[in-house]
Formats: sequence, structure tokens, C-alpha cells
Amino acid sequence: MTNHWIDLKNSDCILIMGSNAAENHPISFKWITEAQKNGAKVINVDPRFTRTSSKSDIYAPLRSGTDIAFLGGMIKFILDNKLIAEEYVLNYTNASFLVNKDYSFNDGLFSGWDAKAKKYDRSTWTFQLDANGVPLRDLMMKDNLCVINLLKKHYDRYNLKQVSKITGTSEAELLEVYKTYAATGANDKAGTIMYAMGWTQHTVGVQNIRTMSIIQLLLGNMGIAGGGVNALRGESNVQGSTDQGLLFHIWPGYIPSPNGKIAKLEDMLKRRAQSKDPLSLNWWQNEPKYIVSFLKSLFGDKASAENEFGYPWMPKLDEGKPYSWLDLFDEMYKGSIKGFFAWGMNPACSGSNATKVRKALANLEWMVNVNLFDNETGSFWKGPETIPENVATEVFMLPACVSVEKEGSISNSGRWMQWRYAGPKPLGNSLPDGDIIMELGLKLKELYKEGGVFPDPILNLKWDYMADHKFDPHKVAKQINGFFVKDVKVGDQEFKMGSQVPSFAFLQNDGSTSCGNWVYAGSYTDKGNMSARRKQEDAPNKIGLYPEFAWAWPVNRRIIYNRAAVDPKGQPYDAKRWVIQWKDGKWIGDVPDGGQPPLVGPDGQPDPKAKHPFIMTVHGLGQIFGPGLNDGPFPEHYEPLECPVEKNFMSSQFTSPTAAHYGTSADTFATCDPRYPYVGTTYRVSEHWQTGLLTRPQPWLMELQPQMFVEMSEELGALKGIRNGERVKVSSARGSLECTAVVTKRFKPMKIAGTVVHQVGMPYNYGWRWPTSGKEESANLLTPSVGDPNTRIPETKAFMVNVTKL
Amino acid sequence: MSKAFFVDTTVCTACRGCQVACKQWHNLPAELTTNRGTNENPPDLSFDTYKVVRMREEVIQKKLNWLFFPEQCRHCLSPPCLDTAGDPRAVYKDEVTGAVIYTAETRFLNADDIISSCPYNIPRKSADGTLAKCDMCNDRVHNGMMPSCVQTCPTGAMNFGDEKEMKELAQKRLNDVKSRYPEAKLLDAEDVRVIYLTLYDPKLYFKYAVASNSDVNLTRQLALKKMFRPLTAIASRVLQA
Amino acid sequence: MEVTRRDFIKITGATAAGLAVSGSLGFDLSPVKAHAQMLKTKYAKETTTICCYCAVGCGAIVHTSKKGDGRVINIEGDPDHVINRGALCSKGAALAGLVENENRLLNPMYRAPYATEWKEVTWDWAIDRIARRVKATRDASFTATNAAGQTVNRTTAIASVGSAALDNEECWIYQAMLRALGLVYIEHQARI
Repeated sequence: MTNHWIDLKNSDCILIMGSNAAENHPISFKWITEAQKNGAKVINVDPRFTRTSSKSDIYAPLRSGTDIAFLGGMIKFILDNKLIAEEYVLNYTNASFLVNKDYSFNDGLFSGWDAKAKKYDRSTWTFQLDANGVPLRDLMMKDNLCVINLLKKHYDRYNLKQVSKITGTSEAELLEVYKTYAATGANDKAGTIMYAMGWTQHTVGVQNIRTMSIIQLLLGNMGIAGGGVNALRGESNVQGSTDQGLLFHIWPGYIPSPNGKIAKLEDMLKRRAQSKDPLSLNWWQNEPKYIVSFLKSLFGDKASAENEFGYPWMPKLDEGKPYSWLDLFDEMYKGSIKGFFAWGMNPACSGSNATKVRKALANLEWMVNVNLFDNETGSFWKGPETIPENVATEVFMLPACVSVEKEGSISNSGRWMQWRYAGPKPLGNSLPDGDIIMELGLKLKELYKEGGVFPDPILNLKWDYMADHKFDPHKVAKQINGFFVKDVKVGDQEFKMGSQVPSFAFLQNDGSTSCGNWVYAGSYTDKGNMSARRKQEDAPNKIGLYPEFAWAWPVNRRIIYNRAAVDPKGQPYDAKRWVIQWKDGKWIGDVPDGGQPPLVGPDGQPDPKAKHPFIMTVHGLGQIFGPGLNDGPFPEHYEPLECPVEKNFMSSQFTSPTAAHYGTSADTFATCDPRYPYVGTTYRVSEHWQTGLLTRPQPWLMELQPQMFVEMSEELGALKGIRNGERVKVSSARGSLECTAVVTKRFKPMKIAGTVVHQVGMPYNYGWRWPTSGKEESANLLTPSVGDPNTRIPETKAFMVNVTKL
Repeated sequence: MSKAFFVDTTVCTACRGCQVACKQWHNLPAELTTNRGTNENPPDLSFDTYKVVRMREEVIQKKLNWLFFPEQCRHCLSPPCLDTAGDPRAVYKDEVTGAVIYTAETRFLNADDIISSCPYNIPRKSADGTLAKCDMCNDRVHNGMMPSCVQTCPTGAMNFGDEKEMKELAQKRLNDVKSRYPEAKLLDAEDVRVIYLTLYDPKLYFKYAVASNSDVNLTRQLALKKMFRPLTAIASRVLQA
Repeated sequence: MEVTRRDFIKITGATAAGLAVSGSLGFDLSPVKAHAQMLKTKYAKETTTICCYCAVGCGAIVHTSKKGDGRVINIEGDPDHVINRGALCSKGAALAGLVENENRLLNPMYRAPYATEWKEVTWDWAIDRIARRVKATRDASFTATNAAGQTVNRTTAIASVGSAALDNEECWIYQAMLRALGLVYIEHQARI
């Protein structure tokens, strides 16, 4: 989230699309309800009428997988009706930039398409630069190559009729949503988006979010109270685990993992694009300090300038090769992976195309499964259609304790890091995950002392995070924050060796600071553990920031990009719900996104010390034209890999040309196939969590949602002779399962290009291990293993199925 | 000062935190259920379930609504069950809070009579005939805490406080929604400590949303006569509904 | 820790009155009523926590018995938490049922190749055995240079998924250990 949960109350219009907040983030409705009571409109766009829809002012159905068409129509509506926040768009976005003359878009493909390699050469997705290397702008926004005019041209095809034909949403419904949301383009109005996996789990996942980001920039909704782009993250610490770099492509703090081409540390420190624009802060130019401080945190005294701070010890990727979830299980299925940790995860149910995942697990030599309960992953060797005597995998199942039995921090969707305390002791012989990791690390160090291949990184790893033979989260939290490893003078401030860094502004690239994760610098300083704070007072702007309750990254900023919430003179666009303002020569309110003065001084003259507001982008401006993605600088509608239509009505390019595909015999697909005539989608129920691995063994929650089900319209029920509550079979090209039919008014058949299309939906909260009947299976047995070209997140929200009576 | 609930169904999201919080606080066991083609579960109140959120799909004025109704004991101002029981060791009214409390002594009474005297069909008996239902979390309330279902409610659907304050809040919310929803009403507000606000015909939400003498039963009719003054008032309410 | 509470409802003189009324009814209800009005959490240790399910980050209060087994008596929403103000959804309200759950794993379990059952093992044995398996697989598969001749110092024969269910501090040491071992297949919930 660019904003945070309480901030929802500040919104005038809340679009809930690609998420089901009332069911999956129930407490968000505390603040949504407050906004509604203050007059806000809530819009819900979803293939199915949900508990969220029941509380929305406007509900519009759409066919799963057509969000870009839906939102592309909104971009056209905003531009056609001149509803953009003009001053904001001109000053704070790249709308006025001139794009490379060789950029083009033709019938579904952008310039640079390499049909053989199935990828784009992105060299034309760039801006024209002046002699100093600063992007050329047309401040009148008249030039045909101006971003805003290319945008207009791109979405000219997304007219109401065409969008309705693709999405199945009626033109009247589209118009009502567009009008209501676009009204937030007014300076004193705020519109926000709440999305979740309903947007990410598509082969166009990133571009779904990009489309909305463009809308938010056009309407001036980024950086303001009640605005922003808000991802509702699904796990209590999935924000934190991402921040801490538990992904192949990033080190902690979003530092891209190096590949083999970056042979030397100095190459890594030089890799960032530099901006020649004096008004661009280009924050990532500070990356070298964060990289060196991170290496120091890993290897401590063993990391020095002489040994490149241990950079050679770090594993490197192959350039351009993904090591993502789908790739990992593809490799495991093919047999190249021998050992596997499933730590607090249940891939046998959570992985798309779960049959492929389960077969892959049987190829392992050993697996370590750490969890609170036995689950479908740990016990895969005795799962359905599996004969234990045929499975060679050695399996360790380690009991982790519950979060209330240990101490440590987690970070919520709003980037708030919050400390938790230990209540009871761990039950039985269960242990905090931290203890298990520490013990395993100590044992590995012990073994490598006796010899082994390339032992240096293991032996030199700083591993002193225990006290009284127990894992001490405070020691790690301090390491993550960072400290001075020797006496250091920064500017006119002096810091003693061993003192905590007050913020990332003090980190160094010479090895004099050690910091586990630069975005968390400031969280555990010499003043104490900031995440444990519980002060009830709000900030002076009274918009619910609660600046001394917990701690938010970065630097306790509660609304990021907040420098865009003020006009070029530094005065709030919305005086009632101001976030920051320039007063008496300084910023007040939230922690500003960079402390530099406003673009224009009190005398009306540009201030040379000023900086553009979007400090994390190279040019400092919001990216309406986004050159960094694999599938195009503007979002374009493509059909899901499996879909009910025979062509893409927007272009000749049927599905995403760059989507991630896999080629094993388990990767089967069936599009426009009469055997699988209905659009299927997956979701969660409020009463279970993720694959249900923590909630299915709980009687109180099983009482509420006891069984796997498939929801379908009354019309489809009638067509198939299926009655409400009876057991049915749902199948796809990859698998099938038995479940209970919920025949409901909340799904409706849709008209897609004149043809009736039925959609059905299933929760993915079940698996054979719990309940012990073994009959309630995972919806992921049906879902395909194809992925988004950027994130490689699987497309589990739109695929084709059949439903039959048992 | 006696207490009341205001249940604002207009903001209930059926997250069912209240249903679980009730079980958690009262240490009530889970029931074995099946999916009957609805999210609503367990299917009914029971000796182990004091609260069930009713979920109804209704098309009203061509628009689909999903109506949620957190069902529980209304803690009537003149509780028919208390009169039917006639034994303050088994059923009594807490003089401070107004909560209608059932004790283990109920097992010595005629449970079916008490059940059938309830205009909202609330009490449920165990195998040995002991009765149970919502106790207003009387222990919490006496210690200055909100009932579990109220504390856990995110949206302000469940409210609790002094009777006067709750009546004012209920009236305010009714006024807020009345212009947009002319059918909106407070249910049996003069007779109960659990006042519901509904936007549409309460019968669409749940069969027993308003006091009912539709199951013609002497005990219940007598009880209603005692409860509602005069009987014509309730009759007109029922007709409206 | 610091628990500054609390804005619970004010009941004028209620606590005292609660027990006083029994006499006024003219008969003695005190055993029943005294029991009903004593909070089960009265003598418990209180700690604050943040709910372990979705990422709203709701605060909760954990009541742990100070006597006997020292187990959880009650978990409910924290009224002083500025995000949820005491509210919890069905999953959050059931937190006590996650902790005090007879289905929990209480010991490390081991399944030998081709075995049909789990076997209970000690931590020492499990950690030692796992470490040896990790080392053997890593050492056999370690890649110093890739096909292009670039130094990569990694193993692609070991993979890890997880976890958003860990605390920040645990995530950080976990990634440190995995990267020191040379893993590149490091993934978790954020990818799916």
C-alpha cells in the first residue's frame, strides 16, 4: 500500500476491484464504513457478487481476466471528457515527455518485438533527451509523441461498446463506474483502489495494476490522503518477508540480485541509471551504500574493502533466467532439484497446477517441512493416488510454534512494522522458527569447519543472534536497522562505534556501516524499538497517521509519494485532508518524500534546490509511460491463456505474447474447448486462510466453512440440472475434484460478444489432509501453471472448467 | 443503568467475527456441519451456538442484495420466557444490566414450554433439558467490558451501551438511511434490548427477525399478550412487516 | 512491554452492584451469579500480539494463565490498537483455537524413504540429519562458474519456499543462511 488502512476513511471514492476486502481483509471495512458514513462511494467490480458487493454503492460484474479492457475504457473516458488533474499531470507525471520517434504500437504488439525469442527489445521504449541528457518535454502537451497523446491514441480503441463486448459489463454499468470514479480528479477529492490477487494472478497481472496507476496519476490521486494504489497483502508478514528479500530476484530492501555478468562489486555499485535532471533526486543513486552495508551485515568483520565485502561469496543468477516459483517447480518436476525447504508454506495446495507440484515433490531426495500442523506438503507421500512404498523422498516435519508463543515483528500491508510479544511458552517441543534456523545454521557451520565445497560464505556468515542459547529477535532487529561499525562523522554529526544508525541517510559505502535492510533503517535506533510504540495521539493534520504508533517504512512515512499531495508551491491540494505542507521554510505533517523545498518559491520563481516528487523513479516523475516492464510501456488487453472467446476483440494478438509458459507433459491447456466451457476462478473465504493449513484443523472455523464448494449461477445450475447443496465434479485440462454446489444469485451469466458465458468460482482453502474425510481438495488441482511476464505469478484467476453432476 | 444492543444490519459484512468471538469467550464447542449450499453455518442456534449470522440473497427493486442478520436473544424488556419459567433460580433478569440469564437450574423446567414462549425462537436445550442462549456476556459487562460480539465487530453493526444511548443511536441511524430506504425500520424497539435496524421488510432477513405469533401456540400467544401492551400494537407491527 | 489501556465501556458502579443485587431478589443466587460475573481472564498474564492471518495488522490481547499449565485462556481484539480498535474477524476471533489445538505438531517427525508412517524424532537428531543432507546435496551440486564462464558460486539443486508466516527477524536470518549456502531458488508466498 502506498497509503495505509486507517487512511481509507479519508477517501471520497473507494474502488474495490481484484480484491474482496469484506471477506479477506474484514477489518478494512471498519475504515471503509467510516468513509461511507462520511459520504464516500464504494464501487466493487468483481465477477461474483460478494460480501464486499453487498456493502458497495455500485456493483459491476466483469468477466474474469478483462480488467485492462475495463480500466482502459476508464482512461479513455477521463481523457475524452477532459477530467484529468491538469496541474498535477503536467508537473508530477511524465505525461509531457516526448517518446522515442521509433516507438510504435501496432495491432497488439509494441515496437521491438522479437517473434523468435518471444520477447521485446525495449530500446525504443525510451524518451527523447536534450543535449544535457534531460528528457524533452512539451509543456503544452500538443506534440504527437507526447506521452499523454500516445496514451490517448492507445486507448482510443477502448470505447464503451468494445469494452462491454469484452468484459460483459453493460455500457450503463461501465459509464456509472467511470463517472463516479473520475469525479475524484477534482483537486479536493480523493479516490483510492484496493486490489489483491484478483489483479496479480493473471498473465497480465502487473499491467492490471499499471492501468490503475495511470488512472491514479491522471486524476492526481497519488500521494494524497484517501488516495494511492493499495495492494491488500494476504499474509500477516508477506510485506515484511518481501522487504527482507525472500525472493530470488531481490536482496533485502529491493536491491536486485546480481547475475553472473556483474562479476565485481564495483560493477554492481555502478549499475544504476543516472539522471542528468538537476530536479531529479533519483533515490536509487544511493544504492551502493545499501549494498555495501548489507554485505557488512551478512559477513561482519569478515567483510572488508579488500575482499569486496564478501561480494564474491554471494550466489549469482544467470542473466535473464528466472528462478521463480513456477520455474522452481518446473525444475523439480524435471528432477534437477534434490533438496527442498517448505518453510511455513503448503505448495501442495497453494501452487497452481497442484498435481504437477505434488508429482514434483516425489522427485526430491529430501524435504524439510516446517509448520504448525501436518499438511498436504509434508505428507504428500501418502496423499491421494500416491503409494508411499514408491516414494523415495526423506521427509522432515518440524513443529514451529504459534506467533503468540514467541517475540518479533511483522509488517502489515500499510508498511507498519509491529512488535509482538510472547504469551505462553511454545506448546510441546515446538520451537520458534528463529530457533530452528539458528540451530540449523550453527550445525552447518560446524560441519563446514571439517571441510566442504566453497565453505567461506558459510563459515564467515555472521551468526551471533542468540542469547542464552535461544534466538534473540532484538539482536536481529538491531542488525536490520543497522549500526556504525566504527566512529563515523556524517556531515557535522558524530557517531560512536556500535551506535544504531538513525536512518538510511547515514549509511556509508566504505564499510563503516552495517545494515541488514536499508528500508528498515530507523526502526530500531538508540532511542529503542520503534515498532513497539503504542501512542494514541494523531499527527497535527488529524488524518489518522498515528505517527508514534508502531513504525512504518521508509523513515516512518505513512503516505508515500506525499510530495505530490501539494501544489508546486508546497500547499495542499486538499486543505481539509492535508498530508504535508510547506510552512515557514519547512515541511510539516507526515514525513515528506524528500525534505527539499517546493518546486516554486514564495516569489513564484522556480527553486533550484527543489526536487520532483516521485523520488524513486529515475526522472522523478510518475510514470504514465512505463518503459521498464517486459510486456509493454502501456497496458494492453490480452485474453487469459484459457478463455471462452475465440479471439481478442482488441487486436490480433490473442493472449499475452510474453506470458511465462512451461513445456512439461503436466502443462496442459484447453482454450475454447467444448470440454471445458465455463470460466473458472479461485478465491478465499473469510473463514479460512490461504490453503487453510492453519484454519482447517480448527473446529470453530470448520464449523463455519466445512467443505470445498463451487459457486455457480442459478441459470447454470438449471442448465446442468444441478441443485443447490449437492456434490458435483469440477474439472479442467489439468485435474478434477469433487465439491458441493452453491447455486446462487450472486453469479450471473454474461453476454460476451453476443454469446452467453458462464463463470464459476471456487475457494482454494481446502486440501485432503484436513478435514480428515480426505474429500475436500484444493482448487489448485485445476489451475494452470502459466505466469505473468514480469512477476511470473501464476494465472489462477481465469481458466476454463467443466462442472458435472456426480 | 440498564443496557441495550443496537444491531445496525446496514453495515454488517457478515464477517462472522461475532459468531466466533461468542464461542471463544463462552468456551463453546464447535458443531459438525456440512455445506448446505450457503455460507450460513451452523444451520441454527443450538445449546452450543448462541449467535448465527443469517445470510439471505434477495432481489429487491431489480437489485441483488445479500442481507445479513446477526441473530441472537433480544433480552426482552418483559421476557415471556422468564414468565413461563416462573423460577428465578433458572431464569432471571439481571437488575443492573437487564440481561435475561439462564442458569443450570433450567434443566428442571419444561424446556419446550419456555422455548415455545419465545417470540424470537431463541432458547435451545441440551440432551438433559438444560437451556442456553446469549447471556449478554454479563460477566464482561459487569466488569466494564463490551460483550464479545460487540467488541469484535469491525463496522459498528454491533453496538452496546446504556439503553438510552442505544435508542438514540438507533434513531439517528434510522434517520440517516430513511430518505434513501423508505422501508427502513427499527424492529420491536420498544420491547427489546436488542434493537435491529433493517432497510427492507425484516422477514426478508430472517423468519424470526420481528416478534412472531404466527406459529399459533397457546403458550406463545399468552406470552405475547403479556409482553406487548396492547396486543393490537404487535398485531399492527406484524401486519406492517 | 507497555499496555496502556483502556477505553472499555464505563458501567457506573457496575462491578460492585453486580454482586450486591442478589440479596434484593429475596433469595440467594450468589454461587451462580458470582461465577457468571467473575472474568475468566482476571488472573491471567496479558500480552499484546498482532494477528497472524491477513495483513491488516490487527492488534489482539493474549490472556495466558499464570497458574497450572500456563496456557492461553482467551485472545480478543485490542481496544487500544489504532487500526482495529478491538475488532477481529472470524479467524482473528478464533486465535485461541489456533494456539490451544490438539492437532498441533508437538515433536519433530521423520519419514524415511519408502516408509508408510511418520516417526517421532528428537530435535538434535533432526537438525544434525538435515544439516548433513543439505551439505551433501550442496557440495555435490555446487556451481562455481556457469555455462558462460561467469563466477556464480551457487547451487540449483536445493530450493526453498517460505515464508510470509515468519517474523521479519526470522525472514532476515533465513535469507542470510540460504544465500550463504548459495541458493538461488529462494521464493515465497509473495510470488503466488
